[in-house]
Amino acid sequence: MSVIADATKGTLGTVGREPVAAPRGARSPIRSHGRFSPWLLCLPAMFFLIVFNVVPAVNTVVLSFSNAKMLSGGTLVGLDNYVRMLQDPQVGTALVNVLIYLVVCLPFLLFLPLALAILVEKKIPAIGFFRTMFYTPVVASAVVVGLIWTWMLDSRGAINGLARSLGFITESIPFLTDRWLLLFSAMSLTIWKGLGYYMVIYLSALGSVSRELHEAAAVDGASAWRRFWTVTVPGVRGTMFLVGMLIVIGALRVFSELYILTNGQGGVGGKNVSPVMLIEMHATGFNGNLGYASALSVMLFFVTLVPLLVMARIQRKAD
Amino acid sequence: MSSRKLATAIVSVAAGLSIAGCGLSGSQGAGGSDSSPSAEGEVTGDVTLQTWALKAGFSEYIEGVIAGFEETYPGTKVTWIDQPGDGYADKLLAQAAAGELPDVINTTPAFGYQLANEDLLQDIAKVDDTLDATYVPGALEGFQFAGIEGTYGYPWYLSSELNYWNTDILSKADVDPASPPATIDELITASRALKEATDGQEYLISKKPTIGDFASAGIPVINDEGTEFVFNSDEAVALLEKYREAYADDLMPADVLTDKFLGGTELFKKGTVGWTATGGNYIGTAVKDNPSLEGKFAVSPHFGTAPIAVQGVSIPKTTKNLPTAIALAQYLTNAENQEEFAELVPGIFPSTSASQSADLAKSDGTPAGDAKAIAFESLSTAKVMEPVQITTAMSTAINQEITAALTGQVTSKEALDNAVEKCNQLLAE
Repeated sequence: MSVIADATKGTLGTVGREPVAAPRGARSPIRSHGRFSPWLLCLPAMFFLIVFNVVPAVNTVVLSFSNAKMLSGGTLVGLDNYVRMLQDPQVGTALVNVLIYLVVCLPFLLFLPLALAILVEKKIPAIGFFRTMFYTPVVASAVVVGLIWTWMLDSRGAINGLARSLGFITESIPFLTDRWLLLFSAMSLTIWKGLGYYMVIYLSALGSVSRELHEAAAVDGASAWRRFWTVTVPGVRGTMFLVGMLIVIGALRVFSELYILTNGQGGVGGKNVSPVMLIEMHATGFNGNLGYASALSVMLFFVTLVPLLVMARIQRKAD
Repeated sequence: MSSRKLATAIVSVAAGLSIAGCGLSGSQGAGGSDSSPSAEGEVTGDVTLQTWALKAGFSEYIEGVIAGFEETYPGTKVTWIDQPGDGYADKLLAQAAAGELPDVINTTPAFGYQLANEDLLQDIAKVDDTLDATYVPGALEGFQFAGIEGTYGYPWYLSSELNYWNTDILSKADVDPASPPATIDELITASRALKEATDGQEYLISKKPTIGDFASAGIPVINDEGTEFVFNSDEAVALLEKYREAYADDLMPADVLTDKFLGGTELFKKGTVGWTATGGNYIGTAVKDNPSLEGKFAVSPHFGTAPIAVQGVSIPKTTKNLPTAIALAQYLTNAENQEEFAELVPGIFPSTSASQSADLAKSDGTPAGDAKAIAFESLSTAKVMEPVQITTAMSTAINQEITAALTGQVTSKEALDNAVEKCNQLLAE
């Protein structure tokens, strides 16, 4: 039974190890307000949840059935926006892009940060410096990082220049103008920027992995590789699911990387768009079509929800 | 479903939609109504003036104009707000949605159209019968929109584009800097010669075609009523085909596709491309940033019809002090103040008829002087090239199709058909 539930029955004093009797005749404020107390305690959080989450979310669903513009309320148009979405070839392109993004980024961001965390967990000289270095991309602005990568990747940028001067290539590699190279460049950026973030999450999880188990396995002759799979990974499995879910959400909602590398244009022929880029494209400006943008948002919600539900089910089974 | 489950479901959906990047809200436009205040009345009281990125360089000038206005009309007080260069459209949109547009706002024809289309601006032709006599027709037409009767802004300062050439690079292409390419065809021919001379290391062209290039070439972009885009004509296909062939022949850098090649003016400034087209005051800033360009400029009129950039001031219907707002807009854009501003900023010109002195067309013989003279001369024929109906989503769609054509993913005809179809769909929304 929860503390709050106990409190409503007037047994707050028994929550601690030592029962504390309330002074006879003096009713605590919580006790005197009875069953409203829990709601009062929840009120601030509920206020923010309703104002900033529930209302906008419901509004988005309503808008998705309308032809609302930025400066006019619009009228209800039934399923028109959803029908249009099914006929819009860019929606299919965007979904393919983010699914590829997900498939590529998930394994890299699931295991590389764990490996990094294991490395930086060791007590060796200057490890603090390396920890900071690995985490630096996380705190750097996505826009600044994107611009730096753009300068590195363009046809006369650092990477092409270096490769040309070393004689590896004679013609520039079209990192920013070829659909697939651009997509993989954006993924590289996401992985590079995400490594430090997930590394820190894994670092905290590694602290709870039993050292005795590691030592016992080592005594029994298990190799480091084997100990990684049989001791470390099971020890951080819960964290891996959390990290996995964050990666899934991040990949399906990818925006900054593709937006900056394509200068907001979605790449050559619009082949490097993502669903969030489409939302931005249709929702902004004086003529922003909020109805269609909202329909795209609802679609993205369900696209994000499905893999999360699958992962949650897998985790439940594993538990 | 129990109430707890229902509540859980609602909260989950809400949270989920939030993580899906939602949270849009359809604001009700602060649309004007016919009950706007009368233009008749005493010029007095408070008004707010909003300019666009002028505080950094022209604070003294604007403050001087405001002081002059307050002195001319005792009892008035002008509050000046200056918005940053980036995101001005979003700022105007937010102000319009909230019904909080300042009394006098700096606009362009594109911004003016979008606001007028939502019935948010005063038709100043109804309250000021001196417009035709005061401002040059081309500038005034910038604030008269197809399908919307009226005039929705006082023209302020103007600028038009011309071609700039790097004489060193032209010489490498064996082109006489005194007679640089005068058409797109001549530009492509010179680019081909330059490629051969420099083994493809230097370029003249550093931009892909835009809708403005079609308009400059005299190709209709939208019908006269402003209701349908028509830039998929045979002439438009032929022009795009020229650029496509030039791209295939490596006559322009690959990064033009994503506009990541710094942009033509920046590249010209670095001395790595030999041609750019921009406003009349470019030489001064280019030489200041790269002194090695000193003495390497040649200038010529823009290919086809020169694009004109018109800045103006509009008065929202929400103003509560229309007489003073009108008086301020008229004062800010009168001949005397505009001439003073034009002296301060080389390359911009007044939009007032009384200021169109023949002296402005005289060059002092320097390339910068020639540029100013060419820019002024072209004002009489220059036009706003990009239709005001074009939105960000349309620009993106056009850009995507043009890049698809340049890279051969689709034919030029298919690209323009797709772009027109998409733009018309967006226009109809």
